[in-house]
This record gives sequence, C-alpha cells and structure tokens, in this order.
Amino acid sequence: MEDFEQQLRNALGRKQQPPTFEAKVFAAVAAQRSSRSVFWRWATEVAAVVVIASGFWMGYQHEIQQRAGEAAKARLEIALKITVTELSKIQKTVRTSTEEE
Amino acid sequence: MTFAEVLRANQSMVFSLAFHFLRDAGAAEEVAQDVFLRLYQKLDELDGPKHATFWLRKATSRRAIDYVRKRGSRPAIALEDIAEPPTAEQPGDPLLNRRLRQLVATLPEKPRMVMVLRYQEDLMPEEISDVLDMPVRTVKSHLQRSLAMLREKIDRSMGDIR
Amino acid sequence: MIAIRTVFILCITLASLRAQELKLPPSLDRLAVKATEVVDVTLDANLLQLASRFLSDKNPDDAQVKKVIAGLKGIFVRSFEFEKAGEYSESDVASLRTQLHTPAWSRIVGVRSMKSSESSEVFVKTEGGKIGGLAILVTEPKQLTIVSIEGAIDPDQLNELGGHFGIPKIESDSKRKDNGNRKDQ
Repeated sequence: MEDFEQQLRNALGRKQQPPTFEAKVFAAVAAQRSSRSVFWRWATEVAAVVVIASGFWMGYQHEIQQRAGEAAKARLEIALKITVTELSKIQKTVRTSTEEE
Repeated sequence: MTFAEVLRANQSMVFSLAFHFLRDAGAAEEVAQDVFLRLYQKLDELDGPKHATFWLRKATSRRAIDYVRKRGSRPAIALEDIAEPPTAEQPGDPLLNRRLRQLVATLPEKPRMVMVLRYQEDLMPEEISDVLDMPVRTVKSHLQRSLAMLREKIDRSMGDIR
Repeated sequence: MIAIRTVFILCITLASLRAQELKLPPSLDRLAVKATEVVDVTLDANLLQLASRFLSDKNPDDAQVKKVIAGLKGIFVRSFEFEKAGEYSESDVASLRTQLHTPAWSRIVGVRSMKSSESSEVFVKTEGGKIGGLAILVTEPKQLTIVSIEGAIDPDQLNELGGHFGIPKIESDSKRKDNGNRKDQ
C-alpha cells in the first residue's frame, strides 16, 4: 500500500491556473501603471530615459503590453464569435417558424 | 530576470498554493493576482529566480492566511461543491486524492499551510520555517499532528484501503 | 427624517443595481470537468479596455468590434460540449434563470423544440429605457451555452459582426422585406 505521505503528495500536486490568468495579471499591472500619480510617471520616465539607450526598458514594457493585449483580443474574438453565432441561429429559427405559419 | 519570466515560471505554484489552502478557485485567482502585482512592485529588490520563488511562496502564504481571516474560517461554499481546476493527470486514486484535499482544508490555518508547503512543494521543515517565519519545532509539531489526524480521518471515511 | 429616508432609498437602489449584475452559478465549474470541450471567457472592464487598445481603427473588422464593445463593462461566455446527453441538468442553470426572471430583465426571444429538446432564450436588461445588458441561454442535450454581456450593447451592431470572424452574414429583416416586395411585383 502506498505510503501515506506519497498519497498526500499525489493529492496536493500543483493545479493549473486558469488560462486567462496571465493576461489578467498583465492587464492589472498595466492598469496600475496608468493610474499612478504624475510624480511617479515623471520619475519612471526619467529612469526610462537613462535605460532607453540599451533598448531594454522599452522592449520589456512593450512585451508585457503586447502579450496582454493580444491575449485579451483573442479572448474577445472568441466571445463575440460565440455570441453572434448563437444569436444568428436563434434568429434563423425564429424566421423559419414564422414563415411556416 | 523579467517580470514575465518570473510570472511564467511561478504562476502555477502560486495559484496552486492558494487553491489548496483556500479551496476556492476564484479566491485563489484573486490572491495569486494580488501577489504578482506586489511582485511587480518589488522586482528590483529580488536577487534572481530562486529568491523570487522564495518571495512568492512567502507572500502567497501570508496573503492566503490573511484572506481566510478576513473572510472568516468557514469556506465560501461547501467543500463537496468545490470545482477542481484542471490538472495534468494526477497519480493515485482520484477519490482518495479528493478526500485528502477536503480533509486538509479542514485543518486550522497555520497547520494547513504547513501541510500544503510540505506536500505540494516538497519543502523540508527548515524551509517551511523560513517561509512562514515559524520555529522549526512548531513546523514539525504541526506536521506530526496533522498527519496523525488526517490518517485517522481517512481510515474512518474510506475504510482500510492500505 | 428626510435624510434617513433618502439614505434608505439610495441603499435600496444601490442594492438592487448590484443585484442586477448576473452571477454565473458556481456549479458551472463542475460541468467543465465532465465536458469534452469547454469555452470559458471572462473579460472584465480592464481586459475589454486593454483589448480595445489592440483593435485597429484601420482594420474594418477591428473597427466594428471596437464600436460594439465601447460601452461594455464585461463579457462572460461559458460553453460546454458533452459526449452524451444528461451530463447537466436544469438545476445547473436554475439560479441563472431566477436572476433572469427579475424585473430588470426581459425575455425577448424564446425558442423551444420539443422534438430535439433544445431551447434558446435571449434576455435584455433595461436601465433608464436603454439596454444595459444581454444574456443568451442555449440548452441542448449535449451542449450548454451561456453568454452574459454587461453594459450598453446595441444588438444591431452585434448583428453587423456577421460576415466577420468567420461568422456567416445573416440577412437583416429590412433586406428580406425588400426582397419579398420585389418578388411580389
């Protein structure tokens, strides 16, 4: 019989985060940055000017925004596709039954 | 070490810690998101990937315990109704696994977090002591008592399956 | 006394506004385990705003989508496909139906087929005479789909998305009437 501690390891194995988790974190980070006070924006921009020569800072920020935005856009397209498809099916059914009357 | 790299390397660990502790996928997501937001602010103070992982375990443990204290000790929904997030195929008896998870969720907060850190993350008592700022002696005591209690409860609820 | 009454009315109004936001039943998460295919999309206001920034005004599809989501606070889609019938029951959507039968919501379309046990319903939420939300509930023996859209939505603009994203274009009612008239001549 399997060791009890191994059974606990089996039971408490890592669970997968929801597929939208990463996009939500990036979105929250982006939202947090944009709500900061003028002072912090200024301070961040000064730091960015210093680092910008290497290109790293811009690339890093852009990458976060890019991935989050693309993920959100992809989810939006899926959601709207399903919505419109279902509405279309319903409309077609209603029209068909109206014509039959 | 970029924020994206740390997020990708640790998001499963953070979410999972929160989920096994809170037994509520929505709450776990909220806690995990909050932890990563704080990590983003502290990223410059961290000393590399291992330090980031340690920091995340510490922050998640703290945040999850705080969450329970604010919400009250009862879970938001019945333990039997907890929807399990998807996992890669888990070894062992699924029924036993589920029952063990439910029983772990009935432990008081500190022993519960000790158990999750020990058996999800395979941390040694000394490492758990560092994460939770708890004496090693206390960690070991929590482990011993929790194991005994869980063994007894699982024997009673599932019969002698060993 | 007047101040207390005002606060009381305000509390009721706020409470009823909060109550009008559709809450998806937690039992839906259980269905995900049983389903062979699951679509689970949750886009809150932050994510919608982020997605909008990545929609190009120069691309006609993107521009149309931008118009549709401009006034939205959230989009939630849960769609489950099952291998066999009977994997979910009416009780899984009961709490949702209860919410959709509150005064804020009106059912505008309901289609039911006794033969195939399929049912499709569309509900709208009105706030101050304007549409403040849309909900679609489709139940089929092997499929369950729930769509909840919160915020100012224009169903005509939604219809106009047909022909984009691989969705077949549906003739509008006015076009069909025009075609009918021409045939009669």
